[in-house]
Amino acid sequence: MPDAAIQLIGVSKFFGKYRALNKVNLEVAQGERVVVCGPSGSGKSTLIRCINRLEEHSAGRIFVEGTELTDDLKALDEVRREVGMVFQDFNLFPHMSILNNCALPLMRVRKSSRQEAETVALSQLERMKIAAQAGKYPDQLSGGQQQRVAIARALCMQPRIMLFDEPTSALDPEMVGEVLESMVDLANEGMTMICVTHEMGFARRAADRVVFMAEGEIVEEADSDTFFDHPKHAKTRAFLAQILYRRPAEA
Amino acid sequence: MAESALTAPAPDNSLAQWLKRRLFANWWDGLITVFFGAFVLWVLFKVVGWGFVDAVWSLENKDQCREAAGACWSVIEARGRLILFGLYPYEQHWRSTLACGAIVATMILSCLPWFWSLRRLPLLWVSGFGVFVILMYGGVFGLPLVTTEQWGGLALTVFIFAAVVVIGMPLSVALALARRSPLPVISKLAGGIIDIVRSLPLLTILFAAAVVVPFVVPDWAQGDKLGRVVLAFAVFFACYQAEIIRAGMQSIPPGQEEAAAALGMKYFYRVFDVLLPQAFRNTLPSTINQFVITFKETSIVTIIGFFEVMASGNAAVGTGNWTAQYVEVYVFVGAIYFLFVFGLSRYGDYLEKKVRLGVA
Repeated sequence: MPDAAIQLIGVSKFFGKYRALNKVNLEVAQGERVVVCGPSGSGKSTLIRCINRLEEHSAGRIFVEGTELTDDLKALDEVRREVGMVFQDFNLFPHMSILNNCALPLMRVRKSSRQEAETVALSQLERMKIAAQAGKYPDQLSGGQQQRVAIARALCMQPRIMLFDEPTSALDPEMVGEVLESMVDLANEGMTMICVTHEMGFARRAADRVVFMAEGEIVEEADSDTFFDHPKHAKTRAFLAQILYRRPAEA
Repeated sequence: MAESALTAPAPDNSLAQWLKRRLFANWWDGLITVFFGAFVLWVLFKVVGWGFVDAVWSLENKDQCREAAGACWSVIEARGRLILFGLYPYEQHWRSTLACGAIVATMILSCLPWFWSLRRLPLLWVSGFGVFVILMYGGVFGLPLVTTEQWGGLALTVFIFAAVVVIGMPLSVALALARRSPLPVISKLAGGIIDIVRSLPLLTILFAAAVVVPFVVPDWAQGDKLGRVVLAFAVFFACYQAEIIRAGMQSIPPGQEEAAAALGMKYFYRVFDVLLPQAFRNTLPSTINQFVITFKETSIVTIIGFFEVMASGNAAVGTGNWTAQYVEVYVFVGAIYFLFVFGLSRYGDYLEKKVRLGVA
């Protein structure tokens, strides 16, 4: 399957006896934007963390850009260079300036010179509209700003795929918008994206496909309009009812 | 109106008000203030009187010492060299002074953030120790040979401290990393070493290194006695410091290493760019603590026959005409320790402030 960006075949993951993923099959095409949602504990985070092997899958096969994830560290390094990840808690390095947060990984991974790295870093910070903060430290920035820096940092590596693990869940409500805006821009530029989120507005606007998970399995997947307007499975309907009921009250 | 409601009342900062609030708030407070104030003044009066006013300062006046009510600092002039240089040959004292200066200068330089890189710091210390050994040991450049058995005094104390820390720090990082390795053989081994070394007294370890090793290790592998003692001391230091660093690493959220891994950074960079700098920041107070303890513990090498500054102080009053002046000598030696340890504490304080500002 050379044209698939990501391919999961019968992937299972156990934490001890607990089964987090059960024989998941998923294929993401180049340039496709997939939103993964589902109740907590449904395995969505585990799923995307398996894609860059922050979690090692217990069974099945995973291919990223045609490279299979195995114990081969070299292949893993290659995959991680192609796959950017954005975390719920930003995970910026607190002891480095914003600029260095973005530039240092480039110097270490791509072996760029400091000057090259800083140029790339600044341009990506510019893209996320946060370049003015380049000299500051992470704890001087708001959550929304930190998350945009985290996105810029991942983009510096020029990844072909971006993974988002609940990127707005740790943010104050008024900051969700700016981060989602950046993600929509990214989606419009044709980046392959898998995004675990409960932001259904974002899913409708930017996603080609929505995947609904429950208890470690993919229950339902459909293009976003079909998913929201005609959910098939009872679990999906229950989940959507809960999450959409909550929305207006918060907004 | 709204504005005045939001402004705090201006505090009355006059001295009288401050005194009243802090020291004489009620009769009981006042009593304590007067009592302890008087006590502090009395102690100050006694100390200044003994140490300065009634003291005899020069060697020429040493006959007055018997009658004088104060300290007899003549002893420092008479025996100061013995205290500072130990058994080091008298004509070569300048070498010991320079060598000591070289190590102290290297210590001060390595406090500067500019040197904190994996290339600069080792280079700095290799040259620092190089200069020290050439000066102290000699045998080259026309300098007469002075074997380590004759080394002593402040230069020896400073050398042992610096060498223990410089060998011990990398070792402690290695032990800490090994202990959190996912490979059970490595982590158990590191844990075992740390637990065993920690459960033995330092004295025993140094004694074994100095006295027992020559019986069990072949001649060619024994090395110098001082070298063995320093190495053993460094291992002891590393085992304690390794646990401090490990604690520092455990306090870092797992997301930090995950983020670095997700960016494609290899283990080496994850550790040296992301984990260790944060671990050191988090454990700065306990690390400085460990340094201070180590500096003071260097005096333990006396028991295997090394005359570091404390032992030299003992020797200075042990014989001859100065047996009565032991207090003066201990005050002098104490002041030397204080100078180093206080400097270290102030530096630690400065680092902590700097780290909190996010500059380091």
